Amino acid sequence: MINQKHLKEIDGIVLAAVLILSLIGLLFIYSASYYLPGNFFTRQLIWLLVSLIALIIVISIDYRRLLLFSLPFFILTNFLLLITLFFSRRIAGTRGWLDLFSFRLQPAELAKFSLILLLAYYFSEYRQEKLTLQVIVSSCGLAAIPLFLVMLQPDLGTAACFLPILLAALFLAGLSRRALAWMLIIAVIAGTASWHFYLKDYQKKRLITVIAPSQDKRGAGYHLLQSKIAIGSGGLIGKGFKKGTQSQLRFLPARHTDFIMAVIAEEAGYLGSLTVIGLFAWLIWRLLKSIELAKDRAGKYLIFMIAMLIAVEAIINISMVIGFFPVIGIPLPFVSYGGSSLLAHYLAIGLAINVRMRRFTYA
Amino acid sequence: MAREKIYEDFSFLHHRAKIALFLILIIFFLLALNYWKIQILDHRKYWVLSEANRLKEIIIPAPRGRMFDRQGLILADNTVAFRVCLIRENNLRWKDSLPMIAKLLKMDLTSLQERINKFTSQPFFFPIVIKDNLSLEEIARIEARQLEFPELFIDREPKRFYPFGQITAHVTGYIQEISYEELNSGEFKNKTMGDLVGKTGLERRYENWLEGVNGKKLEIVDSLGRSHGEYSRIEPKTGHDLQLSLDLDLQRKAAELLEGREGAIVALEPKSGEVLVLYSSPSFDPNRFVSRLSFKEWMEINNRGDNPLENRAVRGLYPPGSIFKLSVALSALHKGLITSQTMHFCSGEANYYGRTFACWQRGGHGWINLVEAIKNSCNIYFYNIGRQLGIENIAQTARQIGFGSLTGIDLPGEKEGLVPDPRWKQRILGQEWFPGETISVSIGQGPIQVTPLQIAVYTALIANRGRPVKPHLVKNKDMMSKDQNNSRTSINLKPDYFETIIEGMWLSVNQGGTGHLAMVDGFDVCGKTGSAQIISREKAEKKQQIIRPHSWFTGFAPRYDPKIVVTVIVEYGGLGGASAAPLAKEIFAFYQNKINKNKNLND
Repeated sequence: MINQKHLKEIDGIVLAAVLILSLIGLLFIYSASYYLPGNFFTRQLIWLLVSLIALIIVISIDYRRLLLFSLPFFILTNFLLLITLFFSRRIAGTRGWLDLFSFRLQPAELAKFSLILLLAYYFSEYRQEKLTLQVIVSSCGLAAIPLFLVMLQPDLGTAACFLPILLAALFLAGLSRRALAWMLIIAVIAGTASWHFYLKDYQKKRLITVIAPSQDKRGAGYHLLQSKIAIGSGGLIGKGFKKGTQSQLRFLPARHTDFIMAVIAEEAGYLGSLTVIGLFAWLIWRLLKSIELAKDRAGKYLIFMIAMLIAVEAIINISMVIGFFPVIGIPLPFVSYGGSSLLAHYLAIGLAINVRMRRFTYA
Repeated sequence: MAREKIYEDFSFLHHRAKIALFLILIIFFLLALNYWKIQILDHRKYWVLSEANRLKEIIIPAPRGRMFDRQGLILADNTVAFRVCLIRENNLRWKDSLPMIAKLLKMDLTSLQERINKFTSQPFFFPIVIKDNLSLEEIARIEARQLEFPELFIDREPKRFYPFGQITAHVTGYIQEISYEELNSGEFKNKTMGDLVGKTGLERRYENWLEGVNGKKLEIVDSLGRSHGEYSRIEPKTGHDLQLSLDLDLQRKAAELLEGREGAIVALEPKSGEVLVLYSSPSFDPNRFVSRLSFKEWMEINNRGDNPLENRAVRGLYPPGSIFKLSVALSALHKGLITSQTMHFCSGEANYYGRTFACWQRGGHGWINLVEAIKNSCNIYFYNIGRQLGIENIAQTARQIGFGSLTGIDLPGEKEGLVPDPRWKQRILGQEWFPGETISVSIGQGPIQVTPLQIAVYTALIANRGRPVKPHLVKNKDMMSKDQNNSRTSINLKPDYFETIIEGMWLSVNQGGTGHLAMVDGFDVCGKTGSAQIISREKAEKKQQIIRPHSWFTGFAPRYDPKIVVTVIVEYGGLGGASAAPLAKEIFAFYQNKINKNKNLND
């Protein structure tokens, strides 16, 4: 199964980048929550170890073999999403978590991973440079299943993460500009419709908040303003570990999860935020470079979708905390607290490493 | 180991991947730029915001300055009281917990809501005092449920306390919560809603002097407003103290004397104008008003028929009665109309302009001179000289002496009274002046109105043989120079005239005159009685009604080198010195006793 020669080809740079991001995450999760009940640091540490084991498992199996299981895996994760809707406690107004012993699983994160696998499998034999309508419709249909199941929870942010995966696949498959334009038009229509029929008031408020954050300092804009204050007051070198007043005195919302970037920026300053942004850029650059090395179409699709997923999530989160994007609850990959997210992203990175290290065929 | 050749053309895929990579790197670069903008370029702005965020400013109210009487006794002091404030910011659903809070504080829900509604214009972090002067039990009850009501906040504040309450109420005044109108008037620049300010008396007059500078405490708080320790503190500056000229012993004596009656007693040092006694009866307990929520009690007292809140000493307007004869005498002497020896005949009544005017002594006084006329307060004598003088001359001298204008005492709300003349009557009533009115005014009746303080100041002028003084209650050295310019425009009346009048006043008290009830052995009291008729005697007799006139006495002692002026008015106290003179005597005697005691101590 796993070959000595393969091991040598493991992409150390990608692995190092995500490990450093995870360690930075751990450090600031500690800083942001050590005074809270809930042992977030320990839990995240355990999840990290679990994720690393999962990564080892994923890279030890040839991705082509894994692709064969993509459909059953996809069905399984969607089934999990379905039962989550019925058998879960409401947490913060959504039904997104399955209780699993003392840990909570977020099936939506695994669903992202399974969608990547399935789409890679689907497009692996697609050799035309122009998309047919049938392909667009069927791939959209596939992505729509988990997307709508997650929207029912309702978790808009997580649901939105299925779109970059889909778009990445379609883009690579040769989505024309005209088709892209059409999709944008549809997106606008869907957006307007959801504004009227789907979005909750607080979500609308958040969108308005991006446009005018100082409109109401105590309402939806409050969290954003506090986040900007945290980031801005960090300065060049930050206030020091565990010394961020915005974070320690609890002005920051969701400090260890969605707003971990604000904690880093406050306590480690611009150097800290630049490090995180740089690591992501480095990771994406390295992943996209690996596409050229991947030996088959499926591998290239896999890496591209994984890279795009991570890139879009990181970009949204990093712009969200400075108010460049609505606060839609997307965690920062590898850094934010959240076991399922960490596991899913390590699985994805494992796949990418898997593809790269098996770029040669050995007799 | 053979490498498998790749025959597939992936260049399209690679090209698209490069486009994506390029776009993503640009976005990351833009993000890094934005973070640079926020963290480096706008750093200062956000730093200030983050400091403001965790530091909460808490005002430490400054104690007001105290007030001391001339012997150093404290008349207005500060004690510590606890109050509970509601900070809306600390609980965004504070409206829901109002019924619970009302229950907890045993308050009426609607009045609690009304109270909070008064502060709607204030920001959410503004602490609204909802109850003050908390009892220990109330504090314990609130503290025990602090977690349930994060919006409640207990703090200390200095509470005004007047140890002698009623006795000094009209002098000290009292403080109450600033009203909306006062806030808008611009008079109280560094005050905000909920602050306590002086409403009457010296508290009001010297508000700027008494008020301290509030301190500030910066506390490190979290987003729920919970304190995580103190960051810095600026101690409040206590206001300046007031040194009063008031003599508490005399003041207390005055309060005792007027117990159960309506009236006023004023005593001054004639030379300096320092007020020793200023008591208005009935009085009230200012300690009942210092709470923010005592409006009902205040209204109750305010609406009482006998008007305890009115300071009769400076605001009560009465006809001066026979006391005014001294002014008429001065006028006549000044005009050369009479000398001290000019005689007039009193038969008990006289007819002027077809109307009969009576002397209070039915049998008449016979032939008397000015000194005897003053001693016996003969009406006919003054009718005669008043008629000869004419109203213009009478009014001119009266105004010169200080009637009809403010004495300038350092108390708010003083009234100026009224010196009538034809021009006044034409303006106000649109009527001609009747010569008969001059006759009434000659003996201090009719439309003429004075305050007890004006009478005291007028008596001091006589005691000083013509040197006017400005009465004042505060004798702080640091304020005297700028505030108490002690000389009113000097009067061009010869000291001789005053000696004549003083002779009459001395006889009145010491030789069986109308003021004999004020005689004090060995103190040479000089005085004059008066009765302020509420309606004319003729009318009263017609109606078969007995309305007793207000009883006046004013005097000074000793005759040479006078030390004290005492003025007493007892409302409905009866004719002449009947009830006022004995009260004045008590004050004189008490003061004499006090001087002697001090002398003995010093010897």
